[in-house]
Amino acid sequence: MISNNLKLAFRNLRKQKGFAIINILGLSVGIASVLLIFRMVQFELGFNKNFKQHDRIVRVCTQEKGLDGQESFTRGVPIPAMSEIKNTITQFAATSRIKENWPTVLVPNPNGGAPLKKFNTEEGEIALFAEPEFLTIFDFAWMAGNQDNILKEPNTLVLSQKMAEKCFGGWQNAVGQTLLIDNEPMMVQGVIANASPQCDFPINLLISYQTLISNPDKYDYRDDWGSTSSNDQIFALLNNPAQFQEANVAVEKVGKKQYVDESGGQSSYKGHLLQPLSEMHYDDRFGTFATHVISKSRLWVLSSIGLLILLMACFNFINLSTAQALRRSKEVGVRKTLGGSHSALFGQFMSETAMIVGFSVLLGTCLAWLGLPLLERISEVPTDLPFLNQPVLWIFIPALALVVTLLSGFYPALVLAGFNPIKALKNDLFNQASSGNGLRKGLVVMQFLIAQALIVGTIITLGQLDYLRNMDMGFRKELVYTFNMAGDSIAQSRMSGFKQRLLQIPGVESVSFSSDQPSSGSTWMTNFAVGRGTDYQRFNTTIKYGDADFLQTYGMKMVAGRWLEPSDTVKEYVVNETMVKKLGIANPEEILQQELRMGSGKWRKIVGVIQDFHAHSAHHELEPMTLSSNLERFYVTGVKIKPQNIKATTEAIQKVHDETFAEQVFDASFFDEQIADFYLDENRFSDTCKGFGAIAIFISCLGLLGLATHAAQRRTKEIGIRKVLGAGVSGITMLLAKDFLKLVLIAIVIASPLAYYLMDKWLQDFSYRIDIQWWMFVLAGFAAILIAFLTVSIQSVKAALANPIKSLKSE
Amino acid sequence: MIELKNIERYYPTGAVKTYVLRYINAHIAEGEFVSIMGPSGSGKSTLLHILGMLDEPTDGEYWFLGEGVHKFNERRRTEMYREYIGFVFQAYHLIDDLTVYENLETPLMYKKVPSGERKSRIADILDRFNMVAKKDLFPNQLSGGQQQLVGIARALIGRPKLILADEPTGNLQSPQAKEIMEIFRTLNKEDGVTIIQVTHSEENARYGNRILHLKDGRVENEELIKNGASS
Ligand SMILES: Nc1ncnc2c1ncn2[C@@H]1O[C@H](COP(=O)(O)OP(=O)(O)OP(=O)(O)O)[C@@H](O)[C@H]1O
Ligand SMILES: [Mg+2]
Repeated sequence: MISNNLKLAFRNLRKQKGFAIINILGLSVGIASVLLIFRMVQFELGFNKNFKQHDRIVRVCTQEKGLDGQESFTRGVPIPAMSEIKNTITQFAATSRIKENWPTVLVPNPNGGAPLKKFNTEEGEIALFAEPEFLTIFDFAWMAGNQDNILKEPNTLVLSQKMAEKCFGGWQNAVGQTLLIDNEPMMVQGVIANASPQCDFPINLLISYQTLISNPDKYDYRDDWGSTSSNDQIFALLNNPAQFQEANVAVEKVGKKQYVDESGGQSSYKGHLLQPLSEMHYDDRFGTFATHVISKSRLWVLSSIGLLILLMACFNFINLSTAQALRRSKEVGVRKTLGGSHSALFGQFMSETAMIVGFSVLLGTCLAWLGLPLLERISEVPTDLPFLNQPVLWIFIPALALVVTLLSGFYPALVLAGFNPIKALKNDLFNQASSGNGLRKGLVVMQFLIAQALIVGTIITLGQLDYLRNMDMGFRKELVYTFNMAGDSIAQSRMSGFKQRLLQIPGVESVSFSSDQPSSGSTWMTNFAVGRGTDYQRFNTTIKYGDADFLQTYGMKMVAGRWLEPSDTVKEYVVNETMVKKLGIANPEEILQQELRMGSGKWRKIVGVIQDFHAHSAHHELEPMTLSSNLERFYVTGVKIKPQNIKATTEAIQKVHDETFAEQVFDASFFDEQIADFYLDENRFSDTCKGFGAIAIFISCLGLLGLATHAAQRRTKEIGIRKVLGAGVSGITMLLAKDFLKLVLIAIVIASPLAYYLMDKWLQDFSYRIDIQWWMFVLAGFAAILIAFLTVSIQSVKAALANPIKSLKSE
Repeated sequence: MIELKNIERYYPTGAVKTYVLRYINAHIAEGEFVSIMGPSGSGKSTLLHILGMLDEPTDGEYWFLGEGVHKFNERRRTEMYREYIGFVFQAYHLIDDLTVYENLETPLMYKKVPSGERKSRIADILDRFNMVAKKDLFPNQLSGGQQQLVGIARALIGRPKLILADEPTGNLQSPQAKEIMEIFRTLNKEDGVTIIQVTHSEENARYGNRILHLKDGRVENEELIKNGASS
């Protein structure tokens, strides 16, 4: 029976080629979308699962509540708190303090002279100071070296396989060699396997934690309850995953007293909490070291888009099958009188669906394979990971086929198998078949609703991205070439000479040293007071250090007073407009000559007020800022260059850099590109809307095309008569198109408020954003109507142009 | 076998009821061969559809083998088609997507006849109807008469106990029609198959043992045929 059913299905499919193609195209595009989205979601959900004890690993994090009720979170923990956690929490079987680090690595020449090789820590990699227990908690595979007694002594380290190969050409001969890590000699004790790509620990170096402890000045290792750096963290292994809550309560008590003493009334609460390893990849409150974080809600959005697209494709199938039910009615009637039961007929129609779905799965899998590189545009999924040959897909794909078969085939098969035989035979089914009409209309509306929402999403995200690109950030971002420098005393001593040599390059306009770029990912904050003898303000200030050329290099403006004079130490301050406003001072001139003190530092005069500029991406509000000049805090060079001969200029800059800082790696980029990188995630979201919006439109239009074809076929006779009565082509086209356009219009009306709500929520994430405007919906609606109209017209015009005599005779 | 009590069938056309059948009472015993005659539109097909459980009377009772047909659900009706009833349609109603061979095979598949026996039965009947050469053709490649032959063959192949035939020879030449009637008679006489046929031809009607004359939806008179026609 089954083979017979398949034979019939195949014959029927060939007979109705047009509809079969529409169905297979739509379903395969839907299936391809689902497979690709599955790929992304599966990749993200698989993070950090490869550690054997992953369900027992936790990170201790810190939560702080300001006096204004603002909560802030960090993965950092003060050094003394880490010691207390290590010694007192009984639920932990093992703990390891760590410190994030991005050192420059030199391979020294054993015969002296210039180093053999030098590298910066690559993007997406991290070096950690860590205790021996780190390798107990995280079971990285051990490749070389003696596993006992590692990372116990200062200046010892373990390399990843990749790093060992980079430094020594092969991991086998790395053990026992010496590397210079930020100019500090260290001995290689072992080599561990590279971290899996689905892991938030892309470690290149593990340096013994004793190194920090034995050289606190160099590594800024401060045993101080008052300072929290997000670089200092502690991981722990629970005795048992069930003890999570218990341990969480215990950790909360750490530092209770000290934080109240230290805060000086700055915060209303500060304390610790546990983050399970399983949350690390999805919680941007705490973040990861060097890998991306993706929120669970984004994964939900992606999954829903996949599901919706698949549903849309199934809707097409349902619509076309029920619309064509009349054609099959006689067959159903006859089969029933020949002894065909309801279930046998149901099975027959399901087999037809299964066959179409089968072809669609094949084609869809090919499409997904072809489309895999596109994922790089909207996600972090590395395209060189196994995809279609993963065992999980051998289950997922058949399951998907089954679900699609049921979703698409169940209802039409039920309708067809349920036909009353005598009515079916007498073709008296018009009422039965057209009862599906409401359903079909509903499904078309739903399809266009989804498509419309995605088009609106595309327009709004594009608008916002355009706004961000052109937003006046308060500084000039074009043609400023920036790179990092080592902050050690040797580098500092060479800085002024370096600047002089750079300024001699013909293409260079100005050079500035600063703590970071005007806008960057990093934040330094402190408490402060204004006016000698007054108490600390109830809010903190952002700090930036820049030299005398900072203002000119990055093109900022003063609103009162003057910019900083050249100085190697903090001598005077400049504040921004927001600071003046937050202090309740109306006229910026009034703050000049007042004295300011940062933390427990010295009182210094405020000499100027700088026009506000954005220190962070548009997600953040403007913050009060204090600027000063301090050689010890200069880590970034910015070079303003002329628009001519950019390549020659940047090459000359590199040459000067390499000659001045032979042991440093030159890694420069243009400031405007760095700013564009702030919005990588937004660009991806926009591309996601764009891509899936196009797919949604495509599938909806396929469905429309099918229904229009069917309508034209069904109304051939009516059209013939109307033409004989004198109707023109355009009149008949409108006659057919009208019904469908109505549906699209309804979809637009329903989709608009929905899209407004969702996109408004998305925009709320930005402190600086566009307003959603009515024309965006009109534009999106107009696009949808136009596309729908063109689709329907293909059929309608064809029907309208047909010779009326033929269509009437054939009846 | 069949008991009809005051069967009525009407269609609501606007406010008035259009009666197609009125007060039909009949008893048909197992092994009978009954012909139904009457002018066009008198309700013959409608009556046959009701007998074949394709249509339901709007009033009255229909008992089949002692069971009330009005109580049959879809499953029971399917069983009836598989086990008892073979239907020959006035409009042939072959399945357009199937070849002659497949059309003949379909009822056997629903009856779960094993494939070897299916083959031999189909070969047999194709032979009997002289259609061997046509077995791989689709209905639209056959003449009207040929389609009618396939329709009859399809009704017989399942070896039903009751054959309902709506003008089975309407499109056939008289020698062919005669052959079909002979087949019907043989089935009736030798295998005890009950046959009810609608026909316009007095000659064909006489193959039966009884003729029901319909007019305007009523049984106008009933004619018994002695010994059946023997020509
Ligand atoms: N759906 C319907 N609505 C209204 N009247 C109907 C319907 N179907 C059939 N009829 C009427 O029922 C009557 C009997 O039809 P039926 O097909 O039984 O006639 P018949 O005796 O088989 O005629 P013929 O010899 O032409 O086949 C006809 O007058 C027809 O118009
Ligand atoms: Mg009739």
